Amino acid sequence: MFCGMPRGTDEVSEPMYYVLTALLDGPLHGHAIMKIVGELSDGRVKPSVGTLYGILERLGDRGLVTVDREEKVNGRDRRYFRISDSGQSAVEAEARRMHEAAALVMKRTSFA
Amino acid sequence: MTPLERRYRLLLRAYPPAYRAAHGTELVGVLLDCAAPDRTTPELREAAGLLTGGLRERVRHAAGGSAWRDGLHLGATAVMAMQLAAMLPYAGSLPLWGVLSALALLAVVRGRVRLALPFVLLTGAKAVAIASGQQLVDMTMLPVYPGFLTPRPMFVASAPATVAVGYGLVCCCLLALSAGEAPRTRSWWWWAAVPFLAWAGPQWMAAETPIPISLSRMALEVAVLGLAVWAARVAGDPRWALAAALYLLVVSDQLGEHFAVLTRQHLAYWGLLALLTALAAFVPHGGRRRVLLD
Repeated sequence: MFCGMPRGTDEVSEPMYYVLTALLDGPLHGHAIMKIVGELSDGRVKPSVGTLYGILERLGDRGLVTVDREEKVNGRDRRYFRISDSGQSAVEAEARRMHEAAALVMKRTSFA
Repeated sequence: MTPLERRYRLLLRAYPPAYRAAHGTELVGVLLDCAAPDRTTPELREAAGLLTGGLRERVRHAAGGSAWRDGLHLGATAVMAMQLAAMLPYAGSLPLWGVLSALALLAVVRGRVRLALPFVLLTGAKAVAIASGQQLVDMTMLPVYPGFLTPRPMFVASAPATVAVGYGLVCCCLLALSAGEAPRTRSWWWWAAVPFLAWAGPQWMAAETPIPISLSRMALEVAVLGLAVWAARVAGDPRWALAAALYLLVVSDQLGEHFAVLTRQHLAYWGLLALLTALAAFVPHGGRRRVLLD
């Protein structure tokens, strides 16, 4: 499905980061991703369904997620998305970068 | 089907038909799972998400294939819409040429560039002949007066060379596109652009200026170029900038012919088109936005 599509921009937005993080525990369908992203961000990041699927398509274009399988549940189609090796590397690199950025502040303030 | 599902399916029309066919049921399923049990109208947030998501998906699908070929085709389509608009008010006096110009646009919109080429050559030759006061193929009473949309006779302030540049550019694009795979079909909305480009109103420039630009034309051009900038940003792709540059080239040639008498309004108009074209060229190369900078 994602093959042959343009790469688009290489930005990693905050909702993308949370979607990749949600998928670290295993393949999930769209509704489950929405719920877990809400829980991980304490309700701060709540993408609409249109936004979430746009993010999943863009992550797919960049090879960061793939479709694991498709199922029909109660007459409704469901795609399960899985994070790829490059997606895992990307989210880990982003987490490491934020950790290092946060450490710069923490060691200079009362957080230290 | 519940009223809520019906309304969500209506909003899904923002997505390309192929995407709707493949994933429409899945999206509706998730939307219904997320909705409160007694809800009958879509949440505003979800409705906005579907509309913007659908537009982004359309851009994503449009950004497939060769960027330069698609950009050339898109630019040629836009210039040909302008050329049909230049012919439209005079279709009553020149029905054959109006039909040929419309057939040329039809062929290009359907991706049939080889078929369009002879129509463009014929209408281009006739347009240049009218601009230079010559007869070609059939007898034409000169000047050609309009039937509607504008009060000005055809090409009353256009030099033959300026008319030739526009048609020559389109011919070059079509020749380049005629080798290789046929371009894809384009939206029927291009036909809706023609009357807006042809209409001389509402006026905002002095009536005596040799090249008045109507508000309807300017508003349409700015809106379409604004969409091009957005699409270029979303897809990170240069095709929209290439198409915008081709269109700007033709507009610049038309304005440049009257450079000595251009007003500040003309320069503001040109500057706006040039700015949007430059933005379409540069936004695909914008910096990477990271999580901390959101």
